[in-house]
Amino acid sequence: MNLIAQLLPSSNVVVDLEASSKKRVFEQAGLLFENNQGIARSTVFDSLFARERLGSTGLGQGIAIPHGRIKGLKDAVGGFFRLESPVQFDAPDGKPVSLMFVLLVPEQANEHHLQLLSELAQMFSDREFRESLLKAADADEIHSMFANWGSDAPDQLSAAL
Amino acid sequence: MKIIILGAGQVGSSVAENLVSEANDITVVDTDPHLLQLMQNRLDLRAVVGNAASPSIMRQAGADDADLLIAVTQSDQTNLCACRIARSLFNLPTRIARLRSADYVEYPELLDDNNFAVDFSICPEQIVTEYIRKLIEFPTALQVLEFADGMLSLIAVRAVAGGPLVGHPLADLRRHIPNVDARIAAIYRGEKPIIPSGETVIQSGDEVFCLAATRHIRQVMRELRKLENPIRRIMIAGGGNIGYRLARSIEERYEVKVLERDNRRTDFLALNLTKTLVLQGDATDEELLESENIEDMDMFLSLTNDEEDNIMAASLAKRMGARRTLALINRKSYVDLVQGGPIDIAISPAQASIGTLLAHVRRGDVAAVHSLRRGAAEALELVAHGDRATSKIVGRKIEEIELPRGVTIGAVVRETGQHRLIHRENTPVMIPEREVIIAHHDTVIESEDHVIVFCVSKKQVAKVEKLFQVGFGFF
Repeated sequence: MNLIAQLLPSSNVVVDLEASSKKRVFEQAGLLFENNQGIARSTVFDSLFARERLGSTGLGQGIAIPHGRIKGLKDAVGGFFRLESPVQFDAPDGKPVSLMFVLLVPEQANEHHLQLLSELAQMFSDREFRESLLKAADADEIHSMFANWGSDAPDQLSAAL
Repeated sequence: MKIIILGAGQVGSSVAENLVSEANDITVVDTDPHLLQLMQNRLDLRAVVGNAASPSIMRQAGADDADLLIAVTQSDQTNLCACRIARSLFNLPTRIARLRSADYVEYPELLDDNNFAVDFSICPEQIVTEYIRKLIEFPTALQVLEFADGMLSLIAVRAVAGGPLVGHPLADLRRHIPNVDARIAAIYRGEKPIIPSGETVIQSGDEVFCLAATRHIRQVMRELRKLENPIRRIMIAGGGNIGYRLARSIEERYEVKVLERDNRRTDFLALNLTKTLVLQGDATDEELLESENIEDMDMFLSLTNDEEDNIMAASLAKRMGARRTLALINRKSYVDLVQGGPIDIAISPAQASIGTLLAHVRRGDVAAVHSLRRGAAEALELVAHGDRATSKIVGRKIEEIELPRGVTIGAVVRETGQHRLIHRENTPVMIPEREVIIAHHDTVIESEDHVIVFCVSKKQVAKVEKLFQVGFGFF
């Protein structure tokens, strides 16, 4: 199993989320982590917004990987959102974002967390992967795509790091 | 960014004007449809007519999706109420309020998240007052701006023959004042900016911007023109909000006279000012100026609400012998017309106060923004974050940083690691000691440094912000 699959519970995958702005998506992300992981929604919201102020986490090609440190969090945790309609994100290519992976890490971020980020970036740089995420029928299908990523191409991971 | 501006008055419209160009999505709310129409004629923005402090109007303005609320109506109460609503009903992440009354500012707990939920408050009148106070303190400067809570100053001075550095290359500055580290950030010859190097020779008439630790700026100014006698006698035309604040803050140190037309206002001024001489009358009245010995005035400040009156009064005062004249003028074309002619310094209240607001709006960690040369140039104080891998700034020598053309790094303010004990409201607090480092080509920027950047043209600001943004890998 790849690193990402370990921190993405199937209940943290949301498809066709209706949100009209970055702010709304972050609110929804806060709600999700509050319900599923017991992290206060305002903590998630504030952390993501504060990080975004220092520089956009948009990657281009409609992808963003907002991330933030959370005080008191033990292990990194992720959430994936496919949006009903794309939102503005100040991405480098100026394109609005429709696929978003939110990554929360403990306050003392370390090498491991950087590895997680680079593995995510590697996943999303694969055009086929992006396209199948957009086409997938439901959350379960998306979750298994994350779980199986890299299993048929073991070299991809090491190439990313 | 999605931004809601409450109030289409002078502050609101100059904020809008500054932000509209930066690819933001802006909605302005005001009760006056005429004011909104005027703004829409000039700028590409959305307008909503209604009471800014009501939930339904706020929703109509897009509060559900907005990143930032700027509440700058004339009413403190409306602004406070709007911030609370934005926080409680819309979870709007950043809220800025204009507060004119000093009353609220004296109780910071009122602004916290449990009360009015104001992240930042600004008082344009207070900022303009401070701005003028600095110019009285340094009467030969065109502009005096502070960074890093006043540790560092940027001054604009017109070089005059007789100053030791005038007619000499900049490299001589070090020889003249070896114990002072200063940096000439830019020189304007006429309208043309000159990027300074060690060989650049300063000419009489040049407008020179220098950065130095605040305690050194007098010495640096002395290099550019002979120091004049200090200011003692000041006449202020107009006892409105700014005139009154200013008189109150300087009356202990200077001989101050205030001219005010409205007799109810003069009663108020006489009651609330202790040492100032309050006179009723019109500042454009030649006889009155003469009988009040205008020729003995070291400084004449025209601070009424009417910019035409300000121009007339200050021009008149200058002709009648006032040593230095200053006027509040909003219209840029007027400023160009009179500054350097009959009026020594023209101040645009909107330009002077907008920087404080822009600092909170800009992307990245921006601590201060100062508008220079009537909005054409800008100086910023940015906080560097990250490391060599995630930042384009941190861990690099200044000569290694890819600065856009016309942009210079002037200085850095850095925590020394030492702490100092101070007493704040009888409670001891440890505050970190900081030092001013004037930038040289081999100065290495560290994370958390406050970096002072000078942009000769406003067009470069967006690039500078980009440069200071952290990379994707930053947590």
